[in-house]
Amino acid sequence: MAIDSKIVELINADVDGEISPADKQELEAALAANPEAQAMHAELSGLGRALNELPDLDSPPHLKHAIMASLPAAQKEPPRESWFRSLLAAPALGYVGMFVAGALLTLSLVSSDQLSDRAFTDVTGLVGTMSSDVPDGPEVRVTHIDRPEVAGRVSMRNSGPLVIVDFDLVSSGPVDIVASYADQTVWFNGFAQLESPGASISAESGRVTMQIDGKRRYALFLQNPSARDVAINLQFRSGGAVVYDTEVAIASDASGG
Amino acid sequence: MNKPDDKELMERCLKGDRQAFEALLVRYEKPVYNAAYRMLHNADDARDVTQTVFLKVYENLDQYDPAHRFFSWVYRIALNESINWLKKSNRQQALDYETADQGDGPDAMANDEQLGEGMEAALMRISEDYRAVIILKHVLGCSYIEISEVLDIPEKRVKSRLYTARQLLQERLTQQGLH
Repeated sequence: MAIDSKIVELINADVDGEISPADKQELEAALAANPEAQAMHAELSGLGRALNELPDLDSPPHLKHAIMASLPAAQKEPPRESWFRSLLAAPALGYVGMFVAGALLTLSLVSSDQLSDRAFTDVTGLVGTMSSDVPDGPEVRVTHIDRPEVAGRVSMRNSGPLVIVDFDLVSSGPVDIVASYADQTVWFNGFAQLESPGASISAESGRVTMQIDGKRRYALFLQNPSARDVAINLQFRSGGAVVYDTEVAIASDASGG
Repeated sequence: MNKPDDKELMERCLKGDRQAFEALLVRYEKPVYNAAYRMLHNADDARDVTQTVFLKVYENLDQYDPAHRFFSWVYRIALNESINWLKKSNRQQALDYETADQGDGPDAMANDEQLGEGMEAALMRISEDYRAVIILKHVLGCSYIEISEVLDIPEKRVKSRLYTARQLLQERLTQQGLH
């Protein structure tokens, strides 16, 4: 016996707990007279129960703290029309503007194409701006940090002779990140930031120090010409004290998973 | 004393009251995280998406339309962010699950635990639109009207989408030998 579309609708409404008393009566009468409708009702009710019983997960500890710490200091002001934006309202000038903006972006971009093939042994304030996520190889090692002072993730990937360390972090105040690597064949070869102004970084042989304050997305580029496994000690310091210390590592042949 | 409702908290947020925002965060952090987790099936991604959602809410407080309820705005952002995340990270959970399912076979016995895990797998094997409507109904406990508000679609379409989503879930569970 076929099931009337009205009854199908009532079955679903019942499963969803959105059936009126009058409709419920109509449904019960229909179920009593139609075994197929009964079977459908039983099946959908079981499915609905199973869905309702999916575990209610607790959100991770410190997530609230991390979110609050990542909020901008003050509410942004309503955007004001700049003279430049007004100028770009003219289509022809818009293209010119886009070209200029693109050229400026290209100049400020730190990418693997622009990286030097030699070490920066003493670099202070070398900062680039990424226009998008760090491209190339898939993330292969991910470490999570969940401390009151700093929370987020650090991931590593290989990209040709480069090891890219991606920091996606939020801190409740100023935190220094000291990345140290013992392998002397590995050298610091660049740094980029995504959507976070005011980065500060210094590098010396075997050690790079970055400062974060609030939400930051950084990428650290290490040259690994010998294609060795790379291990980096990461120390997070707040107010002079080490608040988190971990080692992250990536195998030279790691390419995914 | 009664707790302030969402509307009152939003009004205070708009005046720059961060504590009011924190109160909203406490209220909605868990449902948003659960929604993101069910969309992405990955705890780390769900955490990142939850953080992004609340940051976006904060940054766009002035764009909130008080004609809508706060939760519908937040849930909409959460679902959109989850879908964007999936697209951005080009995840292929569905394929992963199909591969993983091959070992079970149709005669596998289904106990509650298996059904729970199977349900999570099946959810990842239906499209994001259907997954979203299932999450709104069964994870977040929204009514038809509330789902209609979150997804900005007519109530009639909510019902038909839920119906189709459940049919697809049944099919996936049957393929997994769990229904």
